[in-house]
Amino acid sequence: MLRKYKVIAAAAVIALGLTSLTGCSNSDEATAGGTIAIITVDPANPYWKAEVDTAIATATELGYETTVNAHGNDPAKQTQFIDAAISAGVKAIILDPAGADESVGAVQKATDAGIPVFLVNAEISAQGIAKAQIVSNNAQGATLGAQTWVEAMGGKGEYVELFGNPTDNNAQVRADAYHAVIDQIPGFKLLQKETANWDRAQGKAKMELMLQAHPNLKGVIAGNDEMALGAIEALRAAGKLDKVKVLGFDGNDDAVAAVIAGEMVATVLQPIVDGTRAAVQQAHAFLTDGTAPSSEKQAIDCILITKENAAGLKGFVLTTP
Amino acid sequence: MKLNALKREESTGAISRFNRGAFLVEIRALIALAIIVIFFSIMSDNFLQYSNLVLMTRHVAMNAILAIGMLLVILNGGIDLSVGSIVGLSGVVAGYLMQGAPIPFTGHVAYLNIWAVLLISLLVGIFFGWLNGLLVAKLNIAPFIATLGMLYVARGFAKLITNGETFTKLDGKPSLGNTGFITTFAAKPFGVPLPIWVMILFAIVFSIILNRTAFGRWLYASGGNQRAAALTGVPVTKVNIGIYVLSGFCAAAVGVLFTADLHAAIPNMGEFSELNAIAAVVIGGTALSGGRGTIRGTLIGAFVIGFLVDGLVLIGVSVFWQETIKGAVIIVAVAVEEIQRILERRQKLKSAS
Repeated sequence: MLRKYKVIAAAAVIALGLTSLTGCSNSDEATAGGTIAIITVDPANPYWKAEVDTAIATATELGYETTVNAHGNDPAKQTQFIDAAISAGVKAIILDPAGADESVGAVQKATDAGIPVFLVNAEISAQGIAKAQIVSNNAQGATLGAQTWVEAMGGKGEYVELFGNPTDNNAQVRADAYHAVIDQIPGFKLLQKETANWDRAQGKAKMELMLQAHPNLKGVIAGNDEMALGAIEALRAAGKLDKVKVLGFDGNDDAVAAVIAGEMVATVLQPIVDGTRAAVQQAHAFLTDGTAPSSEKQAIDCILITKENAAGLKGFVLTTP
Repeated sequence: MKLNALKREESTGAISRFNRGAFLVEIRALIALAIIVIFFSIMSDNFLQYSNLVLMTRHVAMNAILAIGMLLVILNGGIDLSVGSIVGLSGVVAGYLMQGAPIPFTGHVAYLNIWAVLLISLLVGIFFGWLNGLLVAKLNIAPFIATLGMLYVARGFAKLITNGETFTKLDGKPSLGNTGFITTFAAKPFGVPLPIWVMILFAIVFSIILNRTAFGRWLYASGGNQRAAALTGVPVTKVNIGIYVLSGFCAAAVGVLFTADLHAAIPNMGEFSELNAIAAVVIGGTALSGGRGTIRGTLIGAFVIGFLVDGLVLIGVSVFWQETIKGAVIIVAVAVEEIQRILERRQKLKSAS
């Protein structure tokens, strides 16, 4: 008897787990506004969670139902979710695309089915298909960050770089903008560049090793906050936190705390909340009276976060004091 | 091979043959390790420095602890793909409890002392390991499939618990009596980081379990040939569940150590670490078909992988080459063994004819 229960319990737990995997979709019946499908990358990351939360809040405010799915940067999954959205007959799709080239087909498919697609956070490599492509201006933001970091370094020094996931376009854009600023100044020397795949644990492990190879390094530029926070942990353990200047990017809450504590020189806030809200509002305008966004490609400027304004930043929303 | 394992205590001939095979495989892994150490100490002045050796060994330790659990599973002809996710889940559970766990319907928040946090986190790993064991041993689901499912289930739970947050308030408060998580689990007794001590402790304890207990003899026997072992009275179902429980336990221990080390509980912590653990086990000379393998070999395997990966970073090799080289070393390490076995078989055939 007991044995039977054990098996049933195991099955129940697995069933529970599986349903949790399919995500928090609450599609089915449509209200007056209909349903907007939100397809994001990975809501376990605070950055995309802010994106999802904003999209849901804005859509609900405007009278829409929402469904949420996460493709985890897997184009095959993205296509599945697009197919599901088409057959569910959603009114519009808010999509954070999985790759610039890989996503063109999926967006085309939805557009062909008569469903307008509004892209947020990342772009695709074709124009004229999606109704809007709203991205944060990574190059402009990285330039701001690099300038502040150069100043904090006193205009010279040996440094290392933590690079994002090499297959992600944003990794290269940010690195290029960093170097456009830093490489002009003769006093700087890049000792080593390692990728840590946007990940905090990898950022720490790589930083620990680079500290062994270059014990006297003075600065770290990181492609995002998670890697920068990993580097900060490595520096803390090595007792070098006060000697090394760290630059992050994204403006997540842990990074804000690090900036306030003086552990991170600066981070750059991606206006993900503004961008997502704009995407949903543009979708609403298009659905109600057919007004398309004035231009498809829209870049929203990033905001530099330093000790001065960090206190006003929470959940990717900056309130000026 | 299973008969050798069974008769180890009676038949000296079987012992020497059994040990010689294992010994040769270990020697090969040791040679690989020696080559890696010599190569990188020539390429980098920092490689052999004490602080760097301690650092690399700490990185190795996390994988080695996982690999010890994985070894038990592979000895029985199974595989445990869920350990990386259990690392993440137990770490997140520890982080969640350190932040203060709301008690349902009461409006109170429980702040547990760090040893209770450790216990619950380990129990989470044990529980998921036990579920793996039930699925494999009772429902006869292929280990690859059962633990692949659990990989997603455990990772899903980790993400559900964090709901997009990263738990970083792990220090506790003196007024709540829950301080010391970081200082205890990321401690450095005698200047050596805790993960290294845990690796040594686990290696000793699990060596004793494998070599000196009935459970160990049962495991080698059951891994060699489960049906034959069952017929000779080995409780194969119990053994099968036990190994997944122990593997889950090892993974949970790594989850707590990792969280303390990183000063943060992140839901995607430990992703893909099951593959590194499997690689360590295999390089250490363990047969994926089961019945053959040792803790010592597994540890050497973990050092081969860890020193290789860290050494490549230390000398500044491009990240794409790092991955390619790591993969090639895994293949070569196993291929050499298989080639030798083919040659031995041919020799035997020749001498027989």
